[in-house]
Amino acid sequence: MTDTTVTPKTTAPAKRGLTERLGNELRFVPVALGLVALFLFFATQSDVFLTSRNLNNLMIQSTVTGIIALGLVFVLLTGEIDLSVAATSGVAAVFMAKMVVDAGLPIPLAILLGVGIGLLIGALSARWVTLIGVPSFVVTLGVGLVLNGVQLLLLPNTGRYNLLNTGVEKLAATYVSGPGAWALVLIAIALFALIRVTTFRSRQNAGLPASLGGGVFVPVAVVGAVLIALLMFLENQRGLPMPVILFIGLLGVTSYIAHETRFGTYLYAIGDNAEAARRAGIKVDRIKITAFAIAGGMAAFGGILSASRILGVSVSSGGGVGGGALLLESIAAAVIGGVSLFGGRGMVIGALFGALIIGTVSNGLNLMGVANEARLIVTGLLLVLAVSIDRGIEKLAGPAG
Amino acid sequence: MTEPILRLRGITKHFGGVKALTDVSLDLEPGKVVALVGDNGAGKSTLVKVMAGAHRPDSGEYLFEGRKVEAATPASVADMGVQTVYQDLALCNNLDAVQNLFLGRELTGPWWTGFRVTRASAERRAKDVLRRMRLDSISLSRNVGAMSGGQRQNIAIARSILWEPKVVLLDEPTAALSHSAAEQVGNLVRELASHGLAVLVISHDIHHFVLDNTDRIEVLRLGRNAGSFNSKDVTGEQVVNVMVGGDESVNMAG
Repeated sequence: MTDTTVTPKTTAPAKRGLTERLGNELRFVPVALGLVALFLFFATQSDVFLTSRNLNNLMIQSTVTGIIALGLVFVLLTGEIDLSVAATSGVAAVFMAKMVVDAGLPIPLAILLGVGIGLLIGALSARWVTLIGVPSFVVTLGVGLVLNGVQLLLLPNTGRYNLLNTGVEKLAATYVSGPGAWALVLIAIALFALIRVTTFRSRQNAGLPASLGGGVFVPVAVVGAVLIALLMFLENQRGLPMPVILFIGLLGVTSYIAHETRFGTYLYAIGDNAEAARRAGIKVDRIKITAFAIAGGMAAFGGILSASRILGVSVSSGGGVGGGALLLESIAAAVIGGVSLFGGRGMVIGALFGALIIGTVSNGLNLMGVANEARLIVTGLLLVLAVSIDRGIEKLAGPAG
Repeated sequence: MTEPILRLRGITKHFGGVKALTDVSLDLEPGKVVALVGDNGAGKSTLVKVMAGAHRPDSGEYLFEGRKVEAATPASVADMGVQTVYQDLALCNNLDAVQNLFLGRELTGPWWTGFRVTRASAERRAKDVLRRMRLDSISLSRNVGAMSGGQRQNIAIARSILWEPKVVLLDEPTAALSHSAAEQVGNLVRELASHGLAVLVISHDIHHFVLDNTDRIEVLRLGRNAGSFNSKDVTGEQVVNVMVGGDESVNMAG
């Protein structure tokens, strides 16, 4: 094919409006603003809320829900759901504890095995879903109950493994401060900048419009400012808590996977139109199995982190029977963060904001001396409100006709 | 007269007791747009699926560039250089035009980047193809779900030609479109032919789309070849008559 000499029509492509961008790459903005509003509200209600000690607690409390939600986003993007993530986190934590306490395995190995079991549980559930065609809702509901039973079988007669002084507690209790903390923050900023710069450069090289300000400086400045502010704020305390470091690291890796890689594109494609994805040659089943494995592995790691923080595992690890509040809050975190339960829409970073909103409501109301029932009611209303705002934006950004 | 690039000879396809196609022949030449018309159930879609490798014929020959080929799977037919755009378009509404154009064939970095999508080179290539097809007005970074039916149809067609095929098969590209959007698709179809592609279009819109944009009209009736017309030398009424089997009544009247 050769270029024709006729001048092409000069109609400029339609500009993308704000609502359309809010429906896509800026999807997290409303929920981020909501989080800021909540912060301001609680700051006026309690003198303690904005202290670094309290925010330190708030963040650590949010990491377990947040990590499980991060993994869950992958499954939700494909249009499936995993109701066994909380139970997976419980079983993996108990298994890890058993390996450390009963078998005397080195801790890193025990943690690795625990995460591996989570991956395996996710992959096998998904294999069943894709092979038989049973809805993932049903399969993972069943798997969750099975895992609850397995968890009880793994526990000793006392119903609990104590992890104090085993070394496992260090995972959650370690703080990084001083030069080490600065190094971590700078490395994180540098990696983020690297991704932005390479995108900018490749657009330039391809002769495409590229904006150094909007594409590189602004995002890097925002991310850098947030991370440095976080570090300086927490330096007042004991430095960066390990759970927060781990969460931010996982957030970075999962964001990259979902938004930069081919696999990530396939998640979105399958979530919107699985048949189109299949016809485009995408191995839909394999992608789904991988997504469930990621969710299972992340859930397992979240459970292990939780066990390390509360110094033991018991019947109630993983939220207790059925997953309880841990399961509901993990799903709610992803959904509040703008991830659609119908697949194909939302961003990984939504899990961060969702988990922080749930954590903030719980923490703030607690400081105000409001009872538990109010906390549940507020969280529930926020969930409905967040999804409603999301839908509203989506409708505004919908087909031009 | 250009040599046909794709020839079907005596294609027969039965589904159980139903004769979908009986002894059907069809030629597609480079640079020509051929319309495939017929009433509902005449076998148009079945014939396209045979050409696309989605159905194996019970008997008959499939010749591509003069050689007999198997055309066993959609993938092997696509590799050969025959692309099909089905009526449902198979687009992902939550992805933008570039992502849809390259879906399943993303350009990526090496494994250690986790197969990072190299969007810039894809966008560059997409831009060039769309410009060649006079589709510059399509925004590359908008989600296709936010686009009009005509634009979506054009993106689906653009996707089929991105890898420079030799034959494009379009299954009812104008069925759900307004008159002006159908005209745009018509322009695109002629544009493809002017670049040397062989194009087959199924359409029900005989009076406008088919007569305006095609070189030859092949009529199917009840799974058989019922007539072949030069688009310039025929009226819509004549084609419709052959389509519905009304030519006998015309003869009786004459």
